[in-house]
Amino acid sequence: MAASAQEKELAQLIVTSLNLEMTADEIEPEAPLYGEGLGLDSIDILELSLAISKTYGVQLKSDDADNNKIFSSLRSLNEHIQQHRPK
Amino acid sequence: MMRLYVEGIGLLGPGLDGWSASRDVLAGTTPYVAAPTSLRASDMLPAAERRRAGVPIKLALAVGQEAFLQAGRDTKTTSTVFTSSGGDNDNVHAINGILATAPREVSPTRFHNSVHNAAAGYWCIAAGTHEPSTSLCAYDASFAAGLLESATQVTVDDATVVLIAYDHPYPEPLNAVRPIAAAFGMALILTPRKTEKSLATIEVDIVSGNGQETAMRDAGLEALRSGVPAARGLPLLAALARGEAAQLCIAYLDDNHLDIRIAPC
Repeated sequence: MAASAQEKELAQLIVTSLNLEMTADEIEPEAPLYGEGLGLDSIDILELSLAISKTYGVQLKSDDADNNKIFSSLRSLNEHIQQHRPK
Repeated sequence: MMRLYVEGIGLLGPGLDGWSASRDVLAGTTPYVAAPTSLRASDMLPAAERRRAGVPIKLALAVGQEAFLQAGRDTKTTSTVFTSSGGDNDNVHAINGILATAPREVSPTRFHNSVHNAAAGYWCIAAGTHEPSTSLCAYDASFAAGLLESATQVTVDDATVVLIAYDHPYPEPLNAVRPIAAAFGMALILTPRKTEKSLATIEVDIVSGNGQETAMRDAGLEALRSGVPAARGLPLLAALARGEAAQLCIAYLDDNHLDIRIAPC
């Protein structure tokens, strides 16, 4: 399934906040963000969490047991943000 | 007196796009034309580090890489001495801005880059080295301190050392109180013994009292030398570019200076 408008916006935030050497369109919605796939590391995840907190008002905690699931792909991260962002 | 040999040189500054491209300018046979420093992220770095690299990392790795290519030496077996008056001045400015504004959440990448030995860390990743590494700052005497430390390590430890000096301007308002004229870096690979790759001998003495600092003959290069702490080493590069014996004075801290004699090999 192609990226939604919300996923495209989040993909752009990922590219900008991490200074990725790729465009937002190149992030596959279902591809892994961490390690293999997009190749992000732990500093990237912390950086991205800060950018998400500032942009969406959603706090991502380093000790959240669901982090592997939340950060597993652009799609899962976007779903988490949309479920938890202040109405 | 400490005697060492120069085996490789790296340079990157405004209108000085590499040692090879700048030799004639430094020798005075081609006019100096100022132009913005051509900064680029090093292809020595893995992708994650490359995209986090700020100006000082780009300067340090570019000049280090050029020096090692010239010397044909293995980066893995060479000790490093880094020296910079301020380190990552863009990063200092950005963190100050973040801390002055609620909610004062500092970017992990900015925090990671805020230590003075960040350039050394990136170099060790890029070069794949576990050799000793020293990172110094000594305000306007940062280059002299780096040369003195390198010469001491070459002499005492019988080690080959790469000296990497770099500085770049602060954004305003810090620029007004600590002006640094341009982004500039230079590297010297220094060995304890003469090799077939040796370019010149350098003898270094620390001397008490203020000496008459050696200036650059070209006004633009002299403005660079006097305006950037890391560029205080430019007269040394000019002597190497001319390929002539020379005696230089570079100011050190506390009213001391370095007396430097250079002779081509």
